[in-house]
Amino acid sequence: MGLLATDLRALANLPGTRAGRRIVAGTGIGLGLLALMSWWGTGELLAHPRLLQMVLPATGEPLVGLLGFGLGACPVAASWIGLALAQRQLFESPELNLWLAAPLPRWRPALQVLLRASFLALLWGTALAGPVVGGLLASKQAPWPAYALAPLALLVCTVPLLAALLGVQLVLVRFFAGRVLRLVLTLVSALASAGFSTWLLVGLFTAAEERLPQLAAAGAGAGRLPWTIDSAAHLLAAAAGGRCDVSALASALGWLAAALAGFVALGHLHPRAVEKHLESQPPLRRRRSGWPSSVAGAIRRKEFAQVLQQPGALLGFLAFAVLVVALARQRVLVGGLLDASRLPPDLASVAAMLVLWFVAVLLVLYAHMGRLAMWDGPQWPLYLAAPARPVAILWGKLQAVALFLLWPLVVVGAAGSQMLGAGPAAVGLFAAVALAGTVAALGVLAAVGTWPRLMRPDDAGQIVQGGRSFLAALVLVVAFELVAAPVYFGWPLLVDAPQQRLAGGAGPASLHGWAVPAIWLFALLAGASGFGLGVRNYGRLLRAR
Amino acid sequence: MAATALIETCDLGRAYGGKWAVRHLGLQVARGEIYGFLGQNGAGKTTTIRMLAALLRPSEGSLRIDGIDPRVAPRALKQRVGLVPDTPPLHDYLTGRQYVGLVASLWHVGRRERDARAERLFALLQLEEAADELCKGYSHGMRKKVHLAAVLATAPPVLLLDEATTGLDPIGVRRLKDLLLEESARGTTILFSTHVLETAEQICHRVGILVRGTLRAEGTVADLRAAHGGASLEDVFLATATGAAAGGGDGPARD
Ligand SMILES: Nc1ncnc2c1ncn2[C@@H]1O[C@H](COP(=O)(O)OP(=O)(O)O)[C@@H](O)[C@H]1O
Ligand SMILES: [Mg+2]
Repeated sequence: MGLLATDLRALANLPGTRAGRRIVAGTGIGLGLLALMSWWGTGELLAHPRLLQMVLPATGEPLVGLLGFGLGACPVAASWIGLALAQRQLFESPELNLWLAAPLPRWRPALQVLLRASFLALLWGTALAGPVVGGLLASKQAPWPAYALAPLALLVCTVPLLAALLGVQLVLVRFFAGRVLRLVLTLVSALASAGFSTWLLVGLFTAAEERLPQLAAAGAGAGRLPWTIDSAAHLLAAAAGGRCDVSALASALGWLAAALAGFVALGHLHPRAVEKHLESQPPLRRRRSGWPSSVAGAIRRKEFAQVLQQPGALLGFLAFAVLVVALARQRVLVGGLLDASRLPPDLASVAAMLVLWFVAVLLVLYAHMGRLAMWDGPQWPLYLAAPARPVAILWGKLQAVALFLLWPLVVVGAAGSQMLGAGPAAVGLFAAVALAGTVAALGVLAAVGTWPRLMRPDDAGQIVQGGRSFLAALVLVVAFELVAAPVYFGWPLLVDAPQQRLAGGAGPASLHGWAVPAIWLFALLAGASGFGLGVRNYGRLLRAR
Repeated sequence: MAATALIETCDLGRAYGGKWAVRHLGLQVARGEIYGFLGQNGAGKTTTIRMLAALLRPSEGSLRIDGIDPRVAPRALKQRVGLVPDTPPLHDYLTGRQYVGLVASLWHVGRRERDARAERLFALLQLEEAADELCKGYSHGMRKKVHLAAVLATAPPVLLLDEATTGLDPIGVRRLKDLLLEESARGTTILFSTHVLETAEQICHRVGILVRGTLRAEGTVADLRAAHGGASLEDVFLATATGAAAGGGDGPARD
């Protein structure tokens, strides 16, 4: 068990160093906030026995269904980690060189990847599902064995799925490695990442009154749970009533054992799969082209080149568009707005598009923030050593990001006109407001994405990400929401004003009168102050250590 | 000679968390000189080079490059310095040629000069084939060569190379040596850290041996060998590095 012991040792060493403590603190704060979110969203509702009785159907096994609903966060987290993160670990991690060269059983490195991924998925699963399951058990005044069995339940909902996802990828790469499979896996991983963030964001923005019907449906749906979740939910439900459901326990343990055994068997394919994966990547040749000589121009060009020349990055843009269109088609988060009869339809579609745009930008904002400093972490010594002015480098990066940020606008605009019934005037109005929002978003990015507390280079000159990237994502989301808050709270004003004039048939065009200039003024202010802060931060990041 | 010293340090020192990595370092490297910086792993070579490139702040003492103090005008100093670190900071998803373009623009080099220099360097370092491939697929030696080409395309008056020969194939090493000699003849000042004593012996005008952060011996290779009774540079290095107590050249009885 050398590999496992090494990983545990590394984990145990974390609190001993400054960087390690930062990682622990960053991850802890991030997961803690997620848990809090999950508690406020659902856990708290479920902890009230009276309320619980109201939403639950009288027949069937409502507790099992609700527990299954709560545990459902585990497979979601597991899918994301299995498809997006573990894929790279399985085939491209630098540690593979050592592991595959060592005299270990053939399946051992793959198992290690599974163990690591399970640990990570379990952390996320606990943060997301823990509060809901805990709230449910508390409402039933469950005895302590129920709580003691909860970790096993989380494990059962996570590990078999992860093992299956990794196993399928192993088999695919082993037998079908090639350009096409590479593209497919990259696309799947991009979709998984974007899908998971969307799932989190939609959960964050779902109102409590929309949750109750969801819960009621979940309570009635005990019979329709997937196998692994079903056995975990039955196990916990029985334990909450003070009983031990032996068959559920046996089935839970059986699932775990089967998953591990099956994965070890498939793990024999791993070494060959890694080889095949490496072979499937012939060197990509690029056309020669002129390269700008100004600093900002060169940096801008570099950012574009990195997107255009990295297959995964382009596919990410595509996956994002697919997701946004799916959200629009399902009218997620905007159904209520569109059906509200007190709004003129044009205005309602503008509002719906703006909501979708906001969510869409939140989805990509973190990735674009990375472009400013974090993703250039290993190359940071180059910028440190260069005589270029920090403001020129930042300016070039922001120009590129500004263009990338037009993508959500375009996608939402198109989806709005096709699926939300927005006319040309509405789309134009949306574009005017969203463009201002893009300027404000750039300001937020410039300020947060360069903040030395989150991105400080180490003594060797490289920017270490560690656990702070998670914290950075949270800071970024909160900052963007704060900047958007005036528009959100100004919205009722905005809606009521034209409604009075609607009798005269003014329509949304009357908004142009004062609202759009006001929004633009505010956005320019936010953008300029963000850029100012960013310039100051960049100067600090690029100073000798 | 000191009057034309391009690299000049005075009592330079740097500590990490209270532990000194370099201390009391006084270096003088003249224009056009190739200075070999020798020392064991952890002797402080990289730390010194990073201070000279204005990436690290000295904890004590001062340094000047071409008369410029990094505390006063860091960007003017950086404009004159080309740094080839141990791990080249290449961008995986740029091609070698694009990377050279990026570096050249960061150092404010015009298009025409850049393209002319890059072509020549690519040819010399045998990179023409690889130049239009993504850096992601490069071997360690190729990464080094590409970064070297990028730095030389900025034509810096001062070149700082940190273990530049590691990872290069014999032809690459040979080309590098030729390039450095040629640059030096044109007046470029070169500080060259290495473990490979043979290379140092072949191209360096002077060498300095760093032991645990302090300079223990300095001079031309011939002078150093003479001072140790005609021993090889390897013996001089071993004697200096493994305990100054051994003193003269009588200790190691090799060969
Ligand atoms: N970022 C750092 N933090 C702490 N100690 C460091 C750091 N970088 C280097 N050191 C220490 O400074 C000493 C000199 O290191 P370095 O300059 O890298 O040596 P060399 O390049 O000669 O091998 C070593 O003892 C090393 O452990
Ligand atoms: Mg070194």
